Amino acid sequence: MQQSVTQEYDYTIVKLFSVMAVVYAIVGFLVGDLLAWQLTFPELNFDIPYISFGRLRPLHTSAVIFAFGGSVLFATSYYVVQRTSKVRLFSNFLSWFTFAGWNLTVLAVVITYPLGLSQGKEYAEPIWPIDILITITWVAYFINFVGTLARRKERHIYVANWFYLAFIITVAMLHIVNNIAIPVNMTDSYSAYAGVQDAMIQWWYGHNAVGFFLTAAFLGLMYYFIPKQAERPVYSYRLSIVHFWAIIFLYIWAGPHHLHYTALPDWASTLGATFSIMLLLPSWGGMINGIMTLSGAWHKVRTDPILRFLIISLSFYGMSTFEGPMMSIKSVNALSHYTDWTIGHVHSGALGWVAMVSFGALYHMIPRLWNTKIHSVGLINVHFWLSTIGIVLYITAMWISGVMQGLMWRAYDDYGNLVYSFAETVEAMHPYYFIRSVGGLVFLLGGLVMAYNVFMTIRNANKVPAAA
Amino acid sequence: MQDHKNKIDPNSEVETTGHQWDDDEGYPLKEFNNPLPKWWLYTFYATIIWAIVYWVLYPAWPLPNGNTEGMLGWTQKKQLAEEIRVAKEAQKPFDNKLASLSLEEINKDNSLLQYAISGGKAIFGDNCAPCHGSGGVGSKAHGFPTLVDDDWIFGGTLADINETVQNGRTGAMPAHLESADGAFTQAQVNDLAEYVLSISNQSHDAVKAGRGDTLFHGEASCNACHGDNGRGSLKDTFDGERLDKATGAPNLTDAVWLYGGSRETITQTIARGRTGKMPAWGEGFEGFGRQLDPLSIKQVVLYVHSLGGGQ
Repeated sequence: MQQSVTQEYDYTIVKLFSVMAVVYAIVGFLVGDLLAWQLTFPELNFDIPYISFGRLRPLHTSAVIFAFGGSVLFATSYYVVQRTSKVRLFSNFLSWFTFAGWNLTVLAVVITYPLGLSQGKEYAEPIWPIDILITITWVAYFINFVGTLARRKERHIYVANWFYLAFIITVAMLHIVNNIAIPVNMTDSYSAYAGVQDAMIQWWYGHNAVGFFLTAAFLGLMYYFIPKQAERPVYSYRLSIVHFWAIIFLYIWAGPHHLHYTALPDWASTLGATFSIMLLLPSWGGMINGIMTLSGAWHKVRTDPILRFLIISLSFYGMSTFEGPMMSIKSVNALSHYTDWTIGHVHSGALGWVAMVSFGALYHMIPRLWNTKIHSVGLINVHFWLSTIGIVLYITAMWISGVMQGLMWRAYDDYGNLVYSFAETVEAMHPYYFIRSVGGLVFLLGGLVMAYNVFMTIRNANKVPAAA
Repeated sequence: MQDHKNKIDPNSEVETTGHQWDDDEGYPLKEFNNPLPKWWLYTFYATIIWAIVYWVLYPAWPLPNGNTEGMLGWTQKKQLAEEIRVAKEAQKPFDNKLASLSLEEINKDNSLLQYAISGGKAIFGDNCAPCHGSGGVGSKAHGFPTLVDDDWIFGGTLADINETVQNGRTGAMPAHLESADGAFTQAQVNDLAEYVLSISNQSHDAVKAGRGDTLFHGEASCNACHGDNGRGSLKDTFDGERLDKATGAPNLTDAVWLYGGSRETITQTIARGRTGKMPAWGEGFEGFGRQLDPLSIKQVVLYVHSLGGGQ
């Protein structure tokens, strides 16, 4: 009976997105670490425009956020919505359409960025034809997801799906509004907004891309995989409702904190900072709910490396969502803004939270998708430690380098003159850039261990015909 | 299977909501109905109160004709203006003295000199370091002279350095090789290079250097700029007369080189020539977008003069 229900689900699309997630993880980490080495040793740009830092940097961010993160979210949302609705995905065609559309987008990005084709908006660099492809793909995703929910055989919508749905709707809105532009030819366009308004729209988009793509959606993922892996009920239904709506309402206002002490009006700056502070506890609601789900099952963290991935990701999540509001306070921001501290903050979130929780989800999901066992639990453990060591090296190096950089920029001597020139601050950061590059390399090695483990798992599954 | 009557999870005393999902395989998803943690709720309230207080004190909410201004009357423009005012106020006594005194006078007043050097270092870091390097060490690869030794090209007195910064300098070492529009063969260029190696006490071919000597003081007339002894326009004589220091011909007899002192680099310099360009930073060069005000120039001149080799 159970077998027949399971087989109704469309796992093929989930499998495809899962495999692509692993592939894009490696690509994204590889490009990221190359960039880290380029910053340490600029000779590594080799005077080749196509691999110069300025062109590869957006390729790295897009590869990890949208190619890797996006594939994880497509895979897990399609997996979770089916299993918690007890119904097959709404449309086979739309599932395939989203897979084709998303991967075509990634391909277009991989070609255009190195050629220098960009509309120059951070995390929204794709030129306008690619933006249209993204929009169409996203609408298909929305219809497919909502269609599945509408046909669900469970009365209640599971909390994970609220978060996924909020993510899909908000990202559609953000993407469309931020990318409104007037094309002048096939590769160039002018933004519909000018000056500080353009900057504000961009950071309304940019911050909420973090908020809804990298936070809300991955909280949805967390709400499925942690209770499932820990085999415990979610700690508090009430908390999940309150922190969900608080996040949705508060996050959307926080963008202006990216533009403190600029041409942005003071009032917008204030709202950005205050809403960021109010966002702290709602963000932590997800961490509390995830970690407290383990109460009574803490011993499992010792033996289950998948659970360890999931739990440490929540620790990094809690740390980043504390650090973020602190950095949004104007006086702190005056020190941290434009420094490597921001880079450290972003990576404690991106590596520590997003990547770690994704690894946990993939390790949970992949053996179940292929109806087999993971090739090696030991290698998951190895991956866990490589990731953790890599992240710690990365973020501590960036914290030290960033705070030092900020302090050097504002250092005055007894006569009120600047003590350091800009070049001297760059020179002082060199050792930390080196440590960061090594940290990134260790993290990348962990990714390769995962890729091998996943490859062997799938190969073994395909070798043995299903006994059932 | 929704809405289970028994809402107590068998492993725990707390109620679940009774909802259940994904119960075909593995552990079914359930939810406890724990209350909101008190510390969480009260801290959340505290952040909201903090935000409201902030809104009352600072500019916060947009209105049809502007925005709420806040009780403190703070704006970032006012903050910036105030910080600049305080900083300028503190520097004003120094700046006034700096403006009224000559470079030589400032150089004798130790506390004023320290002030000028501190400002000069910051100005140097932003404007001069891109070529001359942090701290003025220069770059042989690009021919940017080092400023930390006492081997000057155009002179190291305060007046000389001031002239260099105000109006710029152009180094003009002509090309000598035929193929580079010069008048000499490769062999002659090589001979000249051997001679330069010999007067700078480096290993050389004595026969070639002898021929180079003749060329140096004869047909090529290198001595017209570098002097009869090759000691450069600052120190040497030509035809019994002191050379004009504005010529800027370097001393070839010491171990300090602008572009490098190897046989290969010297040959290259003689064959193809060199044109170094120090931009002008003083009045009359505003159009080039790199002008420094007179006070800044004074400070940077005194800073460079203090770096090691000021005369």
